[in-house]
Formats: sequence, C-alpha cells, structure tokens
Amino acid sequence: MIKKILIVDDSPIARKMLKSCLPKDQGFEFHEACNGKEGLEKYKDLCPDLTFMDLTMPVMTGYEALDEIIKHDKDALIIVVTADVQLKAIKMVLDSGAYMVLRKPLKKEDLQVALLKAEDTLQKVER
Amino acid sequence: METHEEELLTGEEIEILQEIMNIAFGKSAADLADVIDTHVVLNIPFINVMQVTDLPAYIRDHVKDYRNISIVEQHFWGCFKGDALLVFSSGSGKELIRILQHGDHANMESDPVEILERETLMEVGNILIGACVGKVAELLRDVVTYTPPLIVLERHYQDAIADNHFTPDKTAIVLKTDFSFTEGNVTGLLFLITSNDSIKWLKEALRIFIAQYE
Repeated sequence: MIKKILIVDDSPIARKMLKSCLPKDQGFEFHEACNGKEGLEKYKDLCPDLTFMDLTMPVMTGYEALDEIIKHDKDALIIVVTADVQLKAIKMVLDSGAYMVLRKPLKKEDLQVALLKAEDTLQKVER
Repeated sequence: METHEEELLTGEEIEILQEIMNIAFGKSAADLADVIDTHVVLNIPFINVMQVTDLPAYIRDHVKDYRNISIVEQHFWGCFKGDALLVFSSGSGKELIRILQHGDHANMESDPVEILERETLMEVGNILIGACVGKVAELLRDVVTYTPPLIVLERHYQDAIADNHFTPDKTAIVLKTDFSFTEGNVTGLLFLITSNDSIKWLKEALRIFIAQYE
C-alpha cells in the first residue's frame, strides 16, 4: 500500500498542485523537498513508498537526484513530474530508472492512473 | 533598482506565474526539439517586477557576458499582452544553421550567411516565442496574436537595446528564463515583458488557474 509520499519540487505552487490532484481519502503521509539534494536526503531518511520528482531545480537537479536515489535503492518508485516534455529528457529519465513521467500541468485523471499502477507494482514487489 | 512587487503581484501570484512560465518554456523547448535534433537544457524561470525605464539596463546586465547578441523580438496581444525578446549569444545563429543542416555547410557557402542566419533565428525564435507565449495564454484561458518577428543580428549588447526601446509605462512584469542546447554552442535568454495594463486581468487569470487546484 502506498502510504508515504515524497514530493520533490522547488515550486511550492507545483507541490500544492500535485497534492490537490491526489485522492483525499487514502490517508497519505506527505513529505516535501524543495531541491534534489533535500529530496535525496529525505528519501534516505524516510524510504517513501512513492516519490514525485521535478527535473529543473536549484542545488541538485531532478536528473542527478534520480540517479542518486536509484543508486541507493534500485527499487525506488519515482514518478518524474516535469514541464520538460522533450523526448530526449523523457528517455533520459526512464533510462535512469524513473518509473514513469507525467507532464505538467498535472491532470487528476493521469495522476490517479499513475497511482493505481504504482500501487500494483508496489504490491508485486512486496509479494 | 526599485521594484514594486508588493503593490502589483503577491508572492503567491509570482510563484504561480513562475510555474506557468516553467510549463510554457518546457512546451516551447519540446516544440523546438521536434524540429531540430537537439536537447534544450532548461533553467529555472524568474519573475521580476520593475519600472519600464529600468528594463533596458536590466536586460543588458543579464546578457553582458555574451558581448555580441542577436535578438528576435515579437509583440503579442490579447488580454495578456507585451513583448517577447529572445536573446541569443554571439555565434548562435551560425551554430543553429549548422545544427539544422546536420553539419552540412553546403548551403552556407552558396547563400549569404547573413540571410540564412536571419531566417534561422526568425524560425527558431518563432517556435520558441510562439509556443511559450501561446502556452502561457492557453493556461490563463486567453488567446494572443503576434506581430512578425523583428531581428537584430550580432550587435554589441550595449547597442542592441536602446534606453527608449520599450513604450514608457509605469511598470513591467519580466518573465526570464535562460537556456542552452546540448549540441552546439547555443545559449540565450527569453524575456516576456508585460506592462501594467495587463495586471488586473493577470491577477484574476492567476486566481482562476490556481482555483482548479484548491
């Protein structure tokens, strides 16, 4: 079951937008980070079930944080949420181990489908 | 430099606008990457509110490292209206020609380079500005119209933008983002400048945008 969610994005508005698209009745425990470095540190501390990661961020980009998290935990479920919808960017993050890429601005339906898939994957891993 | 952020836009409105600019420039980079085989490296956009009279100096200050610059400028108008200035570093025009021709210099030798450079910058500028401004407008439920692009080719940064370049107005909201291409030595900045007669509409449009996520 997905319980602990980490949202890594430098924009507080983007974090707010993402949270508002998630179902309210699932009792998620949210944690937030405002750059890749903080995201990496929180990932190591919290071991979230699911991480949402922006790419364009100060201090440490999402690309770097993604690499570091996957190095630390190869089973990490990371959904990249980005405005950078260039095919090369998408390929790069999927090759690095991102679970999925969602484009900004987020749509509730897309996020809910992603959540169901992630839930399914998590259950298979736990089994 | 005197700013009037508090009077014009709240901190939250600036953050919303910054996220909208981020989304919009992501879209324009993807549109450009569809046309030319490169990856546009995006940086974090910044919003600044300032006196229009301070604007030329502000832009010059941001492009001074390039020394010579080329500019693609388009005016746009709808409820969201203003100027888009795409500033390229020196030599970007020629680099873009090379990238577009996949390193083939044949046309560069047969056609005057200045014409090719002008046309290339115009085309690339049109894609980047059109997609970016169009996406900002779309997210804010507006539609904009554009003037044809104007080009300033390879001029010293201090001469490229005159002090009276912009129509005098009280304030301007400047949305700035810088970018570079992974292939070739192309770097630049995009400035979207909207004057204070858009502000009333803009504040309401931002409120409606974020209300979807409340």
